[in-house]
Amino acid sequence: MNYRFLSKKGVASFVTGLLKEFRVYGPVKKDGFPMYGEITSPDELHLLHTPTHLSPKHYLFPQRETLLRFKNGENHSIEPTVEAHDQALFGVHSCDIHAIRLMDMVFAYGTPDVNYLKRREKTVIIGIDCLPDKHCFCKSVNTMTVDSGFDLFLHDIGSGFVVEIGTRKGNDLLYKHAKTKKATAGERAKMAEFKNKKAELFITKINAEASTLPLLYSGSYFSPVWEKIGKICYGCGSCNNVCPTCYCFDVRDDVTLNLTEGGRYRVWDGCTLEDFAKVAGGHNFRKTRAERLRHRFNRKFQYQVDKFGGLFCVGCGRCIRTCLVNINIAEVTNELIEETNKDRS
Amino acid sequence: MSLLKRQIKTEVKKMRRLEDEKNISTSQPLNLSSSVFDITSPYIPRLARIERITRLTEKERLFTIAIEDGKALGHQPGQFIMLSIPGFGEAPISVSSPPDNGNMFELCVRAVGNLTNALHNLSKGDRIWIRGPYGKGFPVESLKGKDLLFISGGIGLVPMRSLIKTVLSERLSYGRANLLYGVKAPDEILFRDELSQWERTGTINIQITIDKPHPAWKGHTGVVTTLLPPLKIDETKTVAIVVGPPVMYKYVIMSLGDKRIAGHDIYLSLERRMKCGLGKCGHCQINSVYVCQEGPVFRLSDIRYLREAI
Repeated sequence: MNYRFLSKKGVASFVTGLLKEFRVYGPVKKDGFPMYGEITSPDELHLLHTPTHLSPKHYLFPQRETLLRFKNGENHSIEPTVEAHDQALFGVHSCDIHAIRLMDMVFAYGTPDVNYLKRREKTVIIGIDCLPDKHCFCKSVNTMTVDSGFDLFLHDIGSGFVVEIGTRKGNDLLYKHAKTKKATAGERAKMAEFKNKKAELFITKINAEASTLPLLYSGSYFSPVWEKIGKICYGCGSCNNVCPTCYCFDVRDDVTLNLTEGGRYRVWDGCTLEDFAKVAGGHNFRKTRAERLRHRFNRKFQYQVDKFGGLFCVGCGRCIRTCLVNINIAEVTNELIEETNKDRS
Repeated sequence: MSLLKRQIKTEVKKMRRLEDEKNISTSQPLNLSSSVFDITSPYIPRLARIERITRLTEKERLFTIAIEDGKALGHQPGQFIMLSIPGFGEAPISVSSPPDNGNMFELCVRAVGNLTNALHNLSKGDRIWIRGPYGKGFPVESLKGKDLLFISGGIGLVPMRSLIKTVLSERLSYGRANLLYGVKAPDEILFRDELSQWERTGTINIQITIDKPHPAWKGHTGVVTTLLPPLKIDETKTVAIVVGPPVMYKYVIMSLGDKRIAGHDIYLSLERRMKCGLGKCGHCQINSVYVCQEGPVFRLSDIRYLREAI
């Protein structure tokens, strides 16, 4: 790995440089909340240590995107559409970088999804260090640090940033737009210091090794916990929306008022919503909220792990923050751990 | 001398710089090379036309579809396509005809949702769009030489017809064949003419049952499982193929167990909501299994312990 030192002032000129080549999205304040947004100048960036309430998922997998455009009538046609532009995601935290790697796998395996992959190819990812708030539990699911999946990663060491170079693309951009010098051993040591400090700050924790969680969930299928949280769940789908690894979608058509043309769109869907597994005849394969929550939690800790080999919960804590009735995925997991331990003893 | 030293120094610097660069990982988690630009959207459908519409019952019609580009659909019995009408959306529909019919194929559709109602309003010559075929169908080759026991409920006969017709077209390759078919009421019996034709030729033994007694019905009454106990089959060489509504499977599987048919000799086709057919959209997921990829046809022994499957 190659490490360069970038001063705090240097960041602004680097972002200015990026703005010449890319649409740049970074953490900004929207309605008082930290969120990702498009920026036009480096002053708009809020490079906070705290997590953003929404992940940058929608820049790679938009909430609504056009798959096809069609015309009806005499000159009928159907054309595929790919919406992608050069973009830089600036200030992405480690959990979200892990999430993007998982999304890459999902959309590349089997039949590759050209809409996602083209957008992904045109995306530069610049990560940044963060500190946990009361909901974060990335340490418990091994996503507190990243060693790949980014083009550049900025480690805050107080006096400036140690920039970790992840790819050739990132390297070229850094040399082109920023004045950096080789990071000294002292500066790199500070980087490790930050990591150690961060590791001690977590309030939310899962009380078991991450690698044991798939088996735990597999054994907890009949746990009373699902009924318990199913009773209070509103089935609103907020947890699906804010999750950086929830990728289920619906495909819908829309036509103009004169019915001559329209498009086929992909929009986010959520497995906690009532109609998600309902077929045309009326049969619903996951009727109750308890069943749907169990499905969602298992997708994060067991089902997708079987398929793709990694936990699909990256510990960002967003579903905990957004839940209207305080269903806490880490606490629920801890309850399952407790139950399992009780059964064993 | 100092000049030489300086030269050496710059050389060393250069080398270090090169070494540094070598250490940069150029590999990304994915191979997102230029090849990404070569792949086409998997959502592009093929244009097709409705050649013929046959009314089967009040709610079901049989659509004969011709693909505009003249190429065959290339499906296997049990596979499905994504059918769409621009403006009304897409839905997964089982192919009801056997393979090898040129660019023509048949869909039997019940008007039950947004898209299927729109389809029923179309007429001969109208355009529709299809993509697929998708999923895994029935294992036609491994059924050869076996006695076949087809058990179908209601609209489950639709995908099964593709397999039955495939079997009948090469009848001598298979052993004895039984079809047990359960429907709610006499007027819901699908493919009436074909059933009696198959029966007449004597190549397949057919028993139809109606759920509840009906004035117009003189045949067997009761759910489809009531046909099983008196049936004489050789459990050592019988393979059961079961397609029906979700509620039917549990009981049919139990009855097949009573007949001593093993789990690896039972094939089922599972229905789920589907939006993409590509193993992405998540709607058809049962635990870690995507029905559109690993199904819709499953061997019972493979999914017996898959929770939520049956």
